[in-house]
Amino acid sequence: MARSLTAPRWAMLLSLVILLGCIVVPSLAVKHKDFKTCEQSGFCKRNRAYADNASSQGNSWSSPYELDPATIHFKDGKLTGVIVKTTTANEKVRLPLTVSFLESGAARIVVDEEKRIKGDIEMRHGSQANKKRYDETEKWVIVGGLEISKSATLNAQTKTGFTNILYGPDDKFQAIVRHAPFGVEFQRDGETHVQLNHQGFLNMEHWRPKLDGKDGESGEDEGTWWEETFGGNTDTKPRGPESIALDITFPGYSHVFGIPEHADSLSLKETRGGSGNHQDPYRLYNSDVFEYELESPMTLYGAIPLMQAHRKNSTVGVFWLNAAETWIDIVKSTPPVNPLALGARSKTDTQTHWISESGQIDLFVFLGPSPNDISKTYGELTGYTQLPQQFAIGYHQCRWNYVTDEDVKEVNAKFDKYQIPYDVIWLDLEYTDDRKYFTWDPLTFPDPKGMQHKLDETERKLVVLIDPHIKNAGKYPVSEELRSKNLAVLNKDGEIYDGWCWPGSSNWVDCFNPAAHAWWATLHKFDKFKGSLQNLFIWNDMNEPSVFNGPDMTMPKDNLHYGNWEHRDIHNLNGLTLVNATYKAMLERKKGEVRRPFILTRSYYSGAQRVSAMWTGDNQATWDHLGASIPMVLTNGIAGFPFAGADVGGFFHNPDKDLLTRWYQTGIWYPFFRAHAHIDTRRREPYLISEPHRSYIAQAIRLRYQLMPAWYTAFHEASVNGTPIVRPQYYMFPEDEQGFAIDDQLYLASTGLLVKPVVQENTHTAEVYISDDEKYYDYFDFTVYQGAGKKHTVPAPEEKVPVLIQGGHIIPRKDRPRRSTGLMRWDPYTLIITLDKNSEAEGTLYVDDGETFDYERGAYIHRRFNYRESVLSSEDIGTKGPKSAEYLKTMAAVTVERVVVVDPPAEWKARSTVTVIEDGAKSGSTASLEFYEQEGGKAPYAVVKKPNVGIGKKWRIEF
Amino acid sequence: MRLPQSLLLLAAAGSAAQASSDKPARPRGLGPEFAKFYEDSTTFTCISNPSIKIPFSAVNDDYCDCPDGSDEPGTSACAHISRNSPLTVADRPRNSDLDTALALPGFYCKNKGHRPSYVPFQRINDGICDYEQCCDGSDEWARVGGTKCEDRCKEIGKQWRKQEEHNQKSMTAALRKKKDLLVDAGRQQQEIKDHIAILEAELQGAELKEQNLEADLQLAQEQDRKVVRTGNGKGKGKVNALANLAKGRVDELRTALVDVRRQRDETRERVKELEDILAKFKVEYNPNFNDEGVKRAVRSYEDYAAREQGTEGANDAADRDLDEIAKADGEESGVNWEHWENAEDGCNEPDLVYKLAAYLPPSLVSFIEDKVISARSFLEENGILAKADEDSSSESKAVTQAREALEAAQASVKTLKNKLRDQRADLEKEYGAASIFRALKGVCISQDAGEYTYEHCFLESTKQNQRKGSNSVSMGKFSHIGTTSMEEVNEAGEVVNVEKMIIQYDRGQSCWNGPSRSTKVILECGEENKILKTAEEEKCVYSMLVTSPAACAGGEEEGNVAPRSKDEL
Repeated sequence: MARSLTAPRWAMLLSLVILLGCIVVPSLAVKHKDFKTCEQSGFCKRNRAYADNASSQGNSWSSPYELDPATIHFKDGKLTGVIVKTTTANEKVRLPLTVSFLESGAARIVVDEEKRIKGDIEMRHGSQANKKRYDETEKWVIVGGLEISKSATLNAQTKTGFTNILYGPDDKFQAIVRHAPFGVEFQRDGETHVQLNHQGFLNMEHWRPKLDGKDGESGEDEGTWWEETFGGNTDTKPRGPESIALDITFPGYSHVFGIPEHADSLSLKETRGGSGNHQDPYRLYNSDVFEYELESPMTLYGAIPLMQAHRKNSTVGVFWLNAAETWIDIVKSTPPVNPLALGARSKTDTQTHWISESGQIDLFVFLGPSPNDISKTYGELTGYTQLPQQFAIGYHQCRWNYVTDEDVKEVNAKFDKYQIPYDVIWLDLEYTDDRKYFTWDPLTFPDPKGMQHKLDETERKLVVLIDPHIKNAGKYPVSEELRSKNLAVLNKDGEIYDGWCWPGSSNWVDCFNPAAHAWWATLHKFDKFKGSLQNLFIWNDMNEPSVFNGPDMTMPKDNLHYGNWEHRDIHNLNGLTLVNATYKAMLERKKGEVRRPFILTRSYYSGAQRVSAMWTGDNQATWDHLGASIPMVLTNGIAGFPFAGADVGGFFHNPDKDLLTRWYQTGIWYPFFRAHAHIDTRRREPYLISEPHRSYIAQAIRLRYQLMPAWYTAFHEASVNGTPIVRPQYYMFPEDEQGFAIDDQLYLASTGLLVKPVVQENTHTAEVYISDDEKYYDYFDFTVYQGAGKKHTVPAPEEKVPVLIQGGHIIPRKDRPRRSTGLMRWDPYTLIITLDKNSEAEGTLYVDDGETFDYERGAYIHRRFNYRESVLSSEDIGTKGPKSAEYLKTMAAVTVERVVVVDPPAEWKARSTVTVIEDGAKSGSTASLEFYEQEGGKAPYAVVKKPNVGIGKKWRIEF
Repeated sequence: MRLPQSLLLLAAAGSAAQASSDKPARPRGLGPEFAKFYEDSTTFTCISNPSIKIPFSAVNDDYCDCPDGSDEPGTSACAHISRNSPLTVADRPRNSDLDTALALPGFYCKNKGHRPSYVPFQRINDGICDYEQCCDGSDEWARVGGTKCEDRCKEIGKQWRKQEEHNQKSMTAALRKKKDLLVDAGRQQQEIKDHIAILEAELQGAELKEQNLEADLQLAQEQDRKVVRTGNGKGKGKVNALANLAKGRVDELRTALVDVRRQRDETRERVKELEDILAKFKVEYNPNFNDEGVKRAVRSYEDYAAREQGTEGANDAADRDLDEIAKADGEESGVNWEHWENAEDGCNEPDLVYKLAAYLPPSLVSFIEDKVISARSFLEENGILAKADEDSSSESKAVTQAREALEAAQASVKTLKNKLRDQRADLEKEYGAASIFRALKGVCISQDAGEYTYEHCFLESTKQNQRKGSNSVSMGKFSHIGTTSMEEVNEAGEVVNVEKMIIQYDRGQSCWNGPSRSTKVILECGEENKILKTAEEEKCVYSMLVTSPAACAGGEEEGNVAPRSKDEL
């Protein structure tokens, strides 16, 4: 009896366990074993071996790639030719080369494979995949800057075996193309800065048929040529081996930066072992890495293959335009110095090795010479960061999850009760009806419109999660349309790919398909996404794409996208295509109502800065993660995607009050400032934290809002010239070698604000590094710090984030606390002035309506403030457009209420007024001036009360 | 509670308005109670910092001069004077060391036609009509960006008065209900006292009965023993027959043992396999995916793994012994039955019958017993076998009856004692002032919220029931009645602490990766017992806002004596 009972019970339990196993086992996304190392990635391993072989042969190694001189042709700034690769079997493989010299001073090198271009290859397994090497990355990424230089010319004085081209500003740049073996050196002012194939690692695995039973005849390791298995998934590789690789050397450069996204230091580390170095190359293969670790070259959610190399007073860069899985090895070598050569300095070269699984070699080379130049030229190609709506720069309150619409309204009310400003509240996954996007859970969010109306009362916004995986379910119109319209990603056999994500069985919208963009746009219309209003914006998550049961937590590489491109070819672009589609969808959700979209993306590629903000994904509530967020955000900034931030407080686990406070004090300096938390963590909205920490956090948030005019101006600057919004030390002081590796302090654009957040526990001072001999003033009490090239100890009690202002700046602020950025619109400005050594100062201000595109038609205010020879003046640096006058009229009543001059000349003590002359006024007026002495190393200051000059007007204040 | 205060304010406002009708108008946004500070029309003295004097023209000039903000009662210029602000020395020149506190509670909205109110300075002229505090729209007097806030006091005031009237009525009703509750509570308390008296009497009787039955049992046992002792043994045939029976029985047991052992081994293997699967599963699953099903499975596994298994592992020596026992009996091993079956030597001692075990090899006896028991208990512990009833030894009917009677009597004494103890403890228990919650004990109220229905049974439990499914989760069992200090924000935007009555529920269903669920029921005065809101303050720590007449102030004094007098009415 007992037995007959137990059997079914066991069977039931066992089947339950097996069932759970089926769900979870394939998505063991955690930890190292779930993500490939170079050793586990066939093409990376092969190319590393190729490099090792070349290196071990030293001078006797000869790269088997030669540019056929007979094919070389130079016309209109473009050099073409054919590189011939000689295989071990003495076969000749023709690889067409194009080198374009661009008006911007950049050079572009493209190498393809002739057979692949012609489609003269056979696919294995009857695969329908495209035969070409993927050549459409440009289509998604490049938006300009490709104008060919008209002035580029062949240099007549060239040795045989070389073709030299002069180009760039004043022909100061020269590309020296060596024919055999093929290689290129880039010079600026006669000095070599970038070398291609200098080490002979150039490798383009040409197409070849698989010859059965002839393994190993090539003399190469063919084990990973035709098939690779990882994480229980076998990649069928219908085109066999097809990787590309190139070594890029930066002679005399010991620092390289960029290539996000990695949780690592700003200055990149060596990757071939040794103390303090990485074992593996930096990997770029957008992945949903669970509980990622720090100081690691492991891939994360996004990829920007832009690298800057920096040495004293020179910055150069390369941009590897390839969307396939990419690994980058970095080695720094210091050749021994001749001990007899007195005064000879040992000089470090940085050698990099770029390895991609498929596609073309498509490389841009930038010769600087400053970091700003790289940002600008790269931005011309890939686009500048979008000028966001004003609210997007405010404080974002997120949590997985606000559970009901009432919950949202209550959080909203609490912020007001405690008088802490915020702009945006977010809804993670759980707002949906059964994880079906574009729906609301009818029980928990019965009144989404009421909720959004409530938020709109104080000009606040709602952001909701929309992911690219669409629940595979009946009676779900989005799923039905996706399938019936054939807009989903396909598997290798051409059937709709089915994988596992939040909703369980799912399909993925294929945003490489233009038709998918059109369809995606319809889904976002107010009448289609029922319950959405104009103050709702979008968060695109999981767009690597994250697939719980896929290899590397993503799709199989032999999946097929629009145009029959394999997922392998386009993987790193996938996230960007979704965000592009969402951006288009958000532009005009209702006819005639065009607003600047706001989209947060987790996955990205070069170009995503045009349409979105990013955050560093699922970090943890630890001090280490707090510290790591600064170099991560800085790196994104110098890689052209400055609208970046990390989850304030840490996503996983519970931060204590000290950590949370310090995180807010750090987070207010992220261009994208959002608190977020995992569903299993305790609630931690700022008002829930007990005093005194609640006040500290409120102060930090209000500091962000106080500086909103400076932030918005910094965003505007980034939107027109690509400069990072928060900048690292080397970027500000390219001549100061001591500062190159500093990545724990940052500058807010060109405001002169230098911030060193406290990211260690129980630490109440900060060592702030100052490069130059200007005076720096403590933001709060004007204590003076001066002394170039050294660290200064700045007190940092728990309520204080160390912020200094460099002498020579004029910072616009709005000091009145409001509930949201929108409600600060009509508030007066305060100008903070610090004088430099020459008693001068400068600053800029950009203002517009903060939501529409009217600024494109002149509806904005752009002023430069100058302080020179005891006169503060405001000049217009904008250009007029049809909407200028109208906008200025609406802003006529907005004035400057206060000017604070830090460390003014002592003779001001005797003065009590200043003269104010506003353009258009019949006569000058006066305003009161008060001088305040300070003691204990704190600078005196003077305050001008109510000059009341219009912010959009031309005026001068004479001291 | 709010009512008297607001009435007071209204009255004050009224009288102030009358009194000041002859004087020059107060500065914009200034409350009447502060008017005295603004009477000098040439110089203004900052309220909290009398050493600072400014020309009166600087009052409400939209620039903050006083470190306490008192010069700007009608603008937002001093809104930054707050401990929430990142103040720099230049924000309050020469006074940055002073406390950052505003002297005024906010912008005073006269709200003619409604009651006057303060609105925080940060909301003045921000382009938003804050009708909730400022129904007359005077907070947006500067009309920034073209904002126009019409006066809505007539309509809002009317609504408010209606609401107040309703509140009044409701409050009266609530107090009436509270009185009823007090009466009920008093009556119930008395009932318990009465019940205790009855129980005490019953217990006395039961104890007496128990004593008698004990004596009866002793008598019966003595007689029984005599029977066995004097019983006439029927000689050797009985031993042989017994041996026969025993042999058959032992064989049977052996077969069963072998079988049980095999089952045990199989089961152990499967348990091991399952444990391995689950242990791996626990390590490798991804909590980020937040699949409730997976989490539940992991949680139960953790509980399971935490329970130390007493019968750990198979012991080789023990197994060898088992092997030995499992061999067929014969001359070499086990019992040589032949010897017993053919035993001629008479054995008249009937005691032998009861001492059979002594004739068996000790190893056999102890191992059969031990191993069968351990195998069985292993299976029982893992829920595979149902627990068997205790074996009852054989004894004479008379003794059995006597024993059963005694046991029943003992049980009844025990029950009565327990009841008595419970009742006495209940009398001691905290049931709130005047034991009012006694009247609500077991009263259940519920509220639909999102995907759940929350349930609160006073002094018993809180529950979360899924609306879509049938899943019900305990959010805690009654722990105690107490008070808690809650932060509330007053009209001036200051955070103040307020004492609230709470009922605490602990030890609910435990949480994945966390504590067991608990609920703090926060009580507010209200006409009905009603759940207003349930919130998960942190993972698995809930708070429930509940209204109840029992939480209303007043009424206890009479309530304590009420029970009887009410009956008389």
